[in-house]
Amino acid sequence: MQTLEQPPSATPKPDADTGAVSGPGPAGYPAEGHISKTVDQSLVDLRLRAVAMGGLVIDQVASCVRALVEHDAKLAALVLSRETLVNAYDGQLDRDTLTFIALQQPVASDLRMVRAIARAGLELERIGDESKKIARFASRAAAQGGHDPVVAVSRYLRHMGELSVTMLRSAVRALDEADAGLARQVLARDRELDAEFATALRQLMSFVMQDHQFLKATLDTVFALKGLERMGDHAKNVAEQVLYMVGDDAESGRG
Amino acid sequence: MAAVAQLTLEDLRAGLGWRKQLDKLFVIVGLLVMIACLAILAILFLDLVRDGASRFGWDFFTSFPSRKAERAGILSAAVGTTMIMFVTALVALPVGVAAAIYLEEYAPKNWFTGIIEINVTNLAGVPSIVYGLLALGLFVYQFGLGQSVLSAGLTLALLILPIVIVATREALRSVPKAIREAAYGLGATRWEVTRDHVLPYSTGGILTGLILGLSRAIGETAPIITIGALSFIAFLPPSPVSGEFPFLNFEWLRSEFTAMPIQMFNWVSRPDQAFQANAAAAGAILLGMTLLMNALAIWIRYRFRKRINW
Amino acid sequence: MQGEQTSPSAGPPSVSITVEDRKAVRANAPKARAEALNFWYGSNQALKGINLSIPEHQVTALIGPSGCGKSTFLRCFNRMHDLQPDTRYQGSIMLRPDDINLVGAGVDPIEVRMRIGMVFQKPNPFPKTVFENVAYGLRLRGVRNRTDLAERVEGALRAAAIWDEVKDRLSDSALALSGGQMQRLCIARALATQPEILLFDEPTSALDPIATAKIEELISELRQHVTILIVTHNMQQAARVSDFTAFMYLGELVEVGATSMIFTNPGKKATEDYITGRYG
Repeated sequence: MQTLEQPPSATPKPDADTGAVSGPGPAGYPAEGHISKTVDQSLVDLRLRAVAMGGLVIDQVASCVRALVEHDAKLAALVLSRETLVNAYDGQLDRDTLTFIALQQPVASDLRMVRAIARAGLELERIGDESKKIARFASRAAAQGGHDPVVAVSRYLRHMGELSVTMLRSAVRALDEADAGLARQVLARDRELDAEFATALRQLMSFVMQDHQFLKATLDTVFALKGLERMGDHAKNVAEQVLYMVGDDAESGRG
Repeated sequence: MAAVAQLTLEDLRAGLGWRKQLDKLFVIVGLLVMIACLAILAILFLDLVRDGASRFGWDFFTSFPSRKAERAGILSAAVGTTMIMFVTALVALPVGVAAAIYLEEYAPKNWFTGIIEINVTNLAGVPSIVYGLLALGLFVYQFGLGQSVLSAGLTLALLILPIVIVATREALRSVPKAIREAAYGLGATRWEVTRDHVLPYSTGGILTGLILGLSRAIGETAPIITIGALSFIAFLPPSPVSGEFPFLNFEWLRSEFTAMPIQMFNWVSRPDQAFQANAAAAGAILLGMTLLMNALAIWIRYRFRKRINW
Repeated sequence: MQGEQTSPSAGPPSVSITVEDRKAVRANAPKARAEALNFWYGSNQALKGINLSIPEHQVTALIGPSGCGKSTFLRCFNRMHDLQPDTRYQGSIMLRPDDINLVGAGVDPIEVRMRIGMVFQKPNPFPKTVFENVAYGLRLRGVRNRTDLAERVEGALRAAAIWDEVKDRLSDSALALSGGQMQRLCIARALATQPEILLFDEPTSALDPIATAKIEELISELRQHVTILIVTHNMQQAARVSDFTAFMYLGELVEVGATSMIFTNPGKKATEDYITGRYG
């Protein structure tokens, strides 16, 4: 049974007695220090929720690729069943950020952070959609006892899956820690993913030219590959939100 | 943290009863004291009225003093008092208001003006006979104004000057700073601010102060005796208005005079008992005039306050 | 912090201000410019070395915590401090285009106040009629002709967006108006004399939200005619109403810039802390 991956960063756990999140956020994180502790807590909650959603989506991606490559119908079913959870997270995040803006009228860094989290949620939800599509394909493929096109490019599928997961993990961590450096790494990684996609596509084309039998399956595989490539793009967008949040001109003389 | 003992409802109620008793007690005591004072005043007044009842009538007002009690009237005294009050008001008002404006709006706030302020208030406590002596030396002899209505008026003006100044300053101070700031903000000079805003809104207070001062002056006997008010005058000062050119003259200012308090004093010290009634009647009238002036002051204050709500 | 403020003229470029900011400030020629302005109440220095340009026909807001000197700075512009004893200016506030130093020793404060208008925190109309309130400033300047006065009073009342509400009540007492109307009347009173700069000292802090909104709308419109400098405690108001915002702290100018920049991405941490509620 697949367990949910832990959120990738060591965020402070709420104190058992008082429920307060102990200590300041990771160094440089702009969330805390308000006179109003309610505002502090709200921002921390938003951040933790976004990170939790990120964790879930990372797991979805890893699972759907594994399901496809290993013809695991049960895993595919699991991914499909968790899709509603992903959407629920996004809906909650959307509502919470809107409420925060309406009630607290945030400005400057707070405003940028809330907006970044809202948009990151959107991107994560889209990644969830892509993994749902791949899981569906994996279900069909497993039911038909494996697809040759899938086998042919399984190496690329696996590699692209790993790349996507790594990018996503870094992006979510960058969001949690407001780490601009990490965010920039994600942007660089996307190029690698695109290259991998191009290679996998070429491989598939040569396969199809040899054997026209599995056209539909091949098309489906292409879509799966495309889906993975898009996931990378979404992860890149999340990283861009992180850069926006810390203030693009990062050398702004902050104390 | 030690627990703090809470007051029970019974404790609260027990204390409350006693406190409300004290409250009521004070109301009763205050009421009694006030009624006592008013009663004394009323009794005095009614006593005067009763004693002088036989004299009230048109004749009393229009007759000169005479050796016969029944025929003695207050004409010269009343006219004298009126003229003196007129002069007093005419002198005290501009001088007092100007002094108050200077002290309040223009004078820098340093030790020197502080001393002046203290002394102005002190002047109100100077015994009135001292004013009389001052007036005798200064107005009657030094300035050569003689024992005249003018001297009396000036003396009493000096007497009530502190009252007018203090009342005017209070009235000036009651104009809110915001109004002054608004006027200054539009580019007004200090005089324009004073003339257009501060003075108009203080008029009520100033007039009240003046009338209160006059109601004090009307009864002052010592100073005007000192400068030589006569007590038996069977003539009136010359009328200011005459039939020939120039139609107005100021002869009346220089004439000899008498005043109501003087006349009363004179009648009271006569051995003839009949004159007591005259004195009582004159006293009642004087008291009536004083009360009337105070009522006027209150009414003016009320009218002006209604017009302006800060 | 040593004078790291925006400066449309020459000077070392400030680290905190972006190119867009400076373009924006430079696009508006300054109406007034405070240069090395210091101010003392007795021995207490309330303003320290302020350098600030006030762009013409724009709304500039001054924000900062209590006691930071923003009201003090505002009142230097119309020499209101001269009414208190023992105050001292140093430095200058140059008024364009004639380059007069508003706080200069040789400059008559009355003349300054005739060119710079002010609206105060608590509405303070004179206890006269509505007409007389607005006409007072004109009378001070020698306008006597009845038609002239009537025309200019109407113009000012229209500019203050209150003409329709009082046109039938010109002879009524100004104190009979509501709080918001009184404040707009005070604005009309200040506008009647066609000031070059209009100063607002927390103009809506005593008013309800609707009256506040009307006045903010009015301030927005007025900028076409007059340069506006507004002090406000309410940051959201500064954000809504102003084109440029200056943040002051302990008598010094910390940062100034286009309002949209200040409220989305301020340069100085002190500014950031104050506007996000981390100050204190």
